[in-house]
Amino acid sequence: MAVEGTAASNNAPPLLRVEDLCLAYEGDHALRRVRTKTIALQDVSLELCSGQTLALVGPSGSGKSSLARCLVLLERPSSGRILYQGQDILQLPRDAEKAVRQELHLVFQDSAAALNPRLTVQELVAEPLLIHRSMFPGVNFNEKVRELLDQVELGKTWHARRPLELSGGQRQRVAIARGLALRPKILVLDEALSSLDLSAQAQLADLLLDLQERHALSYLYVTHDLRMARALADEVAVLEAGRIVQSGLPAEVLTPSLQPVS
Amino acid sequence: MAKVAPRVAHSCLLLLAVSVLSFALLSAAPGNFFDELRLNPSISPETVAALKAQYGVDQPWPARYFHWLSSIVHGEFGYSLSYHCSVGSLLWPRARNTLLLTSLAMLFAWMLAIPWGIVEAVKPNSWLNHFTSWLTSILLGIPELVLGLLLLFFAARTSWVPTGGMFSSNPASASASWKLADLARHLILPVAALVLGSAPIFVRYVRSAVAEVWGAPFIEHTRGLGIPTVRLLYRHALPVAANSLISVFGFSLGALLSTSLVIEVVLSWPGLGPLALEALLSRDIYVVMAVVLLSSVFLVLGNLVADLLLYWSDPRIRTV
Repeated sequence: MAVEGTAASNNAPPLLRVEDLCLAYEGDHALRRVRTKTIALQDVSLELCSGQTLALVGPSGSGKSSLARCLVLLERPSSGRILYQGQDILQLPRDAEKAVRQELHLVFQDSAAALNPRLTVQELVAEPLLIHRSMFPGVNFNEKVRELLDQVELGKTWHARRPLELSGGQRQRVAIARGLALRPKILVLDEALSSLDLSAQAQLADLLLDLQERHALSYLYVTHDLRMARALADEVAVLEAGRIVQSGLPAEVLTPSLQPVS
Repeated sequence: MAKVAPRVAHSCLLLLAVSVLSFALLSAAPGNFFDELRLNPSISPETVAALKAQYGVDQPWPARYFHWLSSIVHGEFGYSLSYHCSVGSLLWPRARNTLLLTSLAMLFAWMLAIPWGIVEAVKPNSWLNHFTSWLTSILLGIPELVLGLLLLFFAARTSWVPTGGMFSSNPASASASWKLADLARHLILPVAALVLGSAPIFVRYVRSAVAEVWGAPFIEHTRGLGIPTVRLLYRHALPVAANSLISVFGFSLGALLSTSLVIEVVLSWPGLGPLALEALLSRDIYVVMAVVLLSSVFLVLGNLVADLLLYWSDPRIRTV
């Protein structure tokens, strides 16, 4: 089942289109000489339009994170297509794939584990800029880092700190600032707000909406929190046992009857 | 400096405790150096008693301990009953030989283990990894003694390298470069034995430390930003993995004096190994004590060096 509401209604081509994506993990059996196969995703199709948020909800183990990792090319699907701006990114040559990776950025749930514990906030945000300096001719990198950290509302006092000296919310802001450094078009937020307290969740949700408006970002918001999905998403897809079982507008999908399932 | 001073004081106390305990245990062991003399019918019991009194062996162990402690201040480390000279004069040339051997072996072992372990961690499913895992498992399974004997057999059969000792019986007129080359040739066999024995252990440490970090989410996150693999390795993975490796490195520094004892004996290297073995067999207590104390000093220094390296390399420790 595909999520095609916004694309169809706007008649604009989707920014990201996933077609019949399948993913299986293979491994060796612990006791016998046989290969085991766990199916994580089965014929998943969805679309994400520019400037929109698609929430991907579902119970634990339904394949949400696997899908998120496939979209940013951290996993190779077994079959299917991922079309970004009309191009199948699974078929791209290495250089072109690298360029696409910069436009699709994943924000992890565990921000403490997702940031190098030895680097300061400044160093973490500056690194992608320095590596891709050809993208920023004549830019003062210190200024750019300050600007990015201002955008995620992280005060100057925190710039020289290391990740473990920050709160969970502050670390997620650093992860987002780092992602924004390469001017991505899509942020894949994998349970990015789940480990935060309610007030930090609300603040970060406001920040995400603000950044979306400013940079015309698209979000694929992976969550099991239906309340947050309702607040942020333009569309919702429900994933269960690796398949999309329901999709549409939040008001249509996130009904009280869905609550026990997800 | 404020952080180092308490550590040094703590280390001195530790060494003192080790020396007291070792001295007490050695003294409590039955028998002493003069027991063999007692079995000789040509030496009267009075002579043995006189000798014991002369060397202070008949005194209680605390008195002998303090006497030994005061001799350390003068660099003598007591008196060797077997060699009839101060232990200090016996110890330093032997310790220097052992340090030369083990330092070179450690250097080569780490130089081999670091790139080897990194490749195993980063390319876990390559054929090279399978082959090297198999090789390290075999080397780990061979006892040091057997490894030394195998190399000795190989050297004896091929005559490519000397089978023992530190120098050939060279003419007095031999040049310094000839002597250096001769020393290098004599070092090949014991160094090879020590490297083959210790490198597989270091490879396992390096591989597990790097593999753990290489699979960490922050590496995936950073890779997603288009950071090249080489930079990912040197800037991100290795510095984080370094902490546990620095501790192992400190431990290997600490074991510099004790790691080669078996190989020194098997390959006739004139280091502390043969000296310690002879002293133990003849109950030459002050020589044994000096070797124990020197090994403890190296262990403590190794740990101290590891702590300082950690402090220098990890900014998180500096900010605590």
